[in-house]
Amino acid sequence: MAVLAQRNVSHSRGYRLRKVRNKVLFWVVLALFIVFACFPVYWMFITTFKEVNDLYNLQNNPLFFHLPPTLDQVRYLFEKTNFSIWVENTAEVGFVVVLITVLVCVPAAYVLARSRFPGSGGLSMGIFLTYLVPPTLLFLPLSQLVAGFGLVNSKWSLALVYPTFTIPFCTWLLMGFFKNVPKEITEAARVDGCSRLGAMFRIVLPVSVPGILTIVIFAFTLAMQEYVYALTFVSSSDEKMITLGVVTDLIRGDVFFWGSLMAGALIVSIPVAIVYNLFMDTFVRGITGGALK
Amino acid sequence: MVAEFARSRSLGLGGTGARIGHLLDGERIFGYVLVAPAVAYILLLVGYPFAIAVWFTVSNATTARPIAEFTGLTNLLAVLDDDIFRRALANTFIFTITSQALQMVLGTILAFLLLQNFRGRRIARGLIMIPFTIPIAIGAMAWTWMLNPTYSVINWMGVHAGLFTEGPNWLGEEYPAMISIIIVNVWRNLPFSAVVLTAGISAVPQEILEAAHLDGANWWVRWRKVIVPIIAPILYIALLFSLVFTFTDMTVVWLMTRGNPVGETHVIASYAFQTGVVAGSLGRGATMSLFLFPVLLIGAILLLRNLKARTID
Repeated sequence: MAVLAQRNVSHSRGYRLRKVRNKVLFWVVLALFIVFACFPVYWMFITTFKEVNDLYNLQNNPLFFHLPPTLDQVRYLFEKTNFSIWVENTAEVGFVVVLITVLVCVPAAYVLARSRFPGSGGLSMGIFLTYLVPPTLLFLPLSQLVAGFGLVNSKWSLALVYPTFTIPFCTWLLMGFFKNVPKEITEAARVDGCSRLGAMFRIVLPVSVPGILTIVIFAFTLAMQEYVYALTFVSSSDEKMITLGVVTDLIRGDVFFWGSLMAGALIVSIPVAIVYNLFMDTFVRGITGGALK
Repeated sequence: MVAEFARSRSLGLGGTGARIGHLLDGERIFGYVLVAPAVAYILLLVGYPFAIAVWFTVSNATTARPIAEFTGLTNLLAVLDDDIFRRALANTFIFTITSQALQMVLGTILAFLLLQNFRGRRIARGLIMIPFTIPIAIGAMAWTWMLNPTYSVINWMGVHAGLFTEGPNWLGEEYPAMISIIIVNVWRNLPFSAVVLTAGISAVPQEILEAAHLDGANWWVRWRKVIVPIIAPILYIALLFSLVFTFTDMTVVWLMTRGNPVGETHVIASYAFQTGVVAGSLGRGATMSLFLFPVLLIGAILLLRNLKARTID
């Protein structure tokens, strides 16, 4: 009897030990993943607010501040570079891209999601596959096309080209939203004498406002962070959008203005990171064409 | 007729609106008209440029002289004979496959961690998502700074942890540069793999797992024989997308190494950019870009088959 009790105790101690060990292991591995993911952002942050003398002093531990934090680098970004122009350009181009995307996607997604007509399946596949076509395949011919439109070295070339990737992505996202509106509602409206167009505008669109807002956000942020087309089509500083401006204009010859560069990087990243974190599941659903429910 | 007109009037559409509404009322016409702008945009700005790209590959077009003559296979032969291009072709596969494999393994571990019930799970998830949520060009720039030859914080930490005495010139030497590019690709795409895997695994019915557990299946058997078969379709699509995006990306390479040292880290896309845009040789550049196409085509066919199979279900 006593022996049995003894064994029981040792068993539970071993069990408890293993449990603690697993728990420690879990947190250590998780922490490693988090450090790997976040360290570059911490590094942007610390670079942004360091005094230049501190930043480039090899004697100092680079991970912490040795002189009080400063806003000099941020100030340099706003006062001595075209940063505010890039922000304006981003807003203007982003607005036009969003406008084109919404005007083109809403009707297309609506019929592809809710009507059956010859070729509708093929068309929706075709639009989906367009998303797979990368900028690196088309930047050369598009640069000629852009020249044909008289948009050489103009930010409006980007407003013209960006919908090529926002349209497929947003059409598929919207199709998901439109499919969720029950068919019976529009059928009832049709019986009551509403036209197809009327049913779309008066019944389905009003309840799909969240979906349309989602594609507005995605179209804007996708345009805002694009790099390859921007690099190809635009070279004057005052025509650049924010991402391209930050990663190209703060390098003069061989000299990198790391403090201001990281300040710009941080300013671009924060809004986009917040939006994508909030909409992560929707975003992944958009990419995978609704494979994830 | 009058009644119909009155009805559409009462719905608030004006006279012309009613007539258009009536014309659009056939399901077929309605469909084609509404989908037409999207199709037109894509044909004009994706289909047509693609045709031009094909023409570039068999012509001697340059940025200075875009109207060119037909030169047959000259570009293709020249490109195949180019040592840097052959290296870029190999690199593209090395970078894509290595980072994809790492992503799958690490992504699976991460997914299981994030599926545990623990306090602060949402915060942990949000932090881990960060690399995927910031623009890729910005992320690549942050890493370039972290791997700077003089001020590398990675080397500083390595030296102070006693891992090495000086640390490599990460972006200036062949193998360290290749490793850096792979690390940045993994850093960027790991959250995506983790999200997809988490969603997939959590969709596996708990009863099936418990049943397998009771039947004596250990975690490896449960993973291989129960979870993977169930999440395979999702995994497949996510993998395909991730592969295509990594395969065709030039941002990481262009910002971090610009293909250096001496062209050893170029990928197809970055070398095509170097040749076509920087050096202005449209024909050669387009020929290189077109090497991306077969992989895209295979990806597209596989995706189509998968999607079709799913719509039949």
